[in-house]
Amino acid sequence: MAIGLRLVLLAGAVFILAFVLLKIRRAQLQTTDAVFWFLFAGCLVLLAIFPQIVYHLAGFIGVESPANLVFLLILGILIIRLLNITVETARLKQKLDRTVQHIALQEADGSVGKDDEN
Amino acid sequence: MLRMCVPGSDRATEAIAASDLKDKAILAIVPAFNEESSIVAAVEDIRTHAPEADIVVVNDGSKDRTLAICHEHGYDVVSLPVNLGLAGAFQTGMRYALEHGYDYAVQFDADGQHSAAFILPMVEVAERDRADIVIGSRFLTKSKPHTARMAGSILITRMILYTTRAKISDPTSGMRLFNKKMIRSFATDPDLSPEPDTMAHMARSGARISEIQVDMRERTSGESYLNLSRSVSYMLRVCISILFVQWFRKKAI
Repeated sequence: MAIGLRLVLLAGAVFILAFVLLKIRRAQLQTTDAVFWFLFAGCLVLLAIFPQIVYHLAGFIGVESPANLVFLLILGILIIRLLNITVETARLKQKLDRTVQHIALQEADGSVGKDDEN
Repeated sequence: MLRMCVPGSDRATEAIAASDLKDKAILAIVPAFNEESSIVAAVEDIRTHAPEADIVVVNDGSKDRTLAICHEHGYDVVSLPVNLGLAGAFQTGMRYALEHGYDYAVQFDADGQHSAAFILPMVEVAERDRADIVIGSRFLTKSKPHTARMAGSILITRMILYTTRAKISDPTSGMRLFNKKMIRSFATDPDLSPEPDTMAHMARSGARISEIQVDMRERTSGESYLNLSRSVSYMLRVCISILFVQWFRKKAI
């Protein structure tokens, strides 16, 4: 691989890792998410420094182009991650709906002050 | 509660229901999002033509004077601090119905499309058929006009028929009556929106669905929610939900 390309890849990986560390530092990530992103960014840096890992792995599995293996792995990881986020978003929306409804219903019962039952 | 003669209902069902309906508590749920120009007409329509029904307006985070107008007129209103959309607003009404022990809840649009004169006949049909859901259908005895929107309606009707064997002539009608069992389901299940695919899902879950012919007015205010791109995505969502997703959903009853 051309030395220039390797440097760009390494810089990108380091940049992502730095970004993750900054977000952790500012407490803008939950710890469990922080662990995921730390490992993810850490792996990118590791692979940028030692691309031989990918070459060996690709040869072992039987993927012709090592780059494809990298794409495949990252895509797979991110798809799973995205699905999890969708699930989490749905859960949060449900909780938000419930909370908003609860507040509104309680306020309504309080302000009306009379019993509507039957 | 007083029984009143209701225009549009036939005498046969009237006779059966007259004795049963007296002790039924009926709630009209009126979700309202920016409906300041039509909310009064809608509520007064219910007060006049379905005086047996209690009314709750669910103000869905309106930015206009909807809430103020409701307060001025002394309507019972549940006001959501943020906009949750129709599903969330309607569910709020169902939770209200559940908490206050209503026997029937009817979904009633604030934009003037629905006629309150049909609310009592819907309850009568629910009693007569022991139905869980009664849909106010525009096309039970009248045929559908030949428009693009009706082509979509026919498609949804067919899909629901083939997947659940339930005949729903007007699946997109927003005027629906629900009994106590349905009130509980809609109030507690986090994923039941007042949409056609939910009707299919409820039918498949074992709910009895009846229909009654109703007339609807052209909307008196506001614009239709559905423009072309929204219509397409709406149809796609409903179709995929009915044809594929519903087989994997847990039964709702």
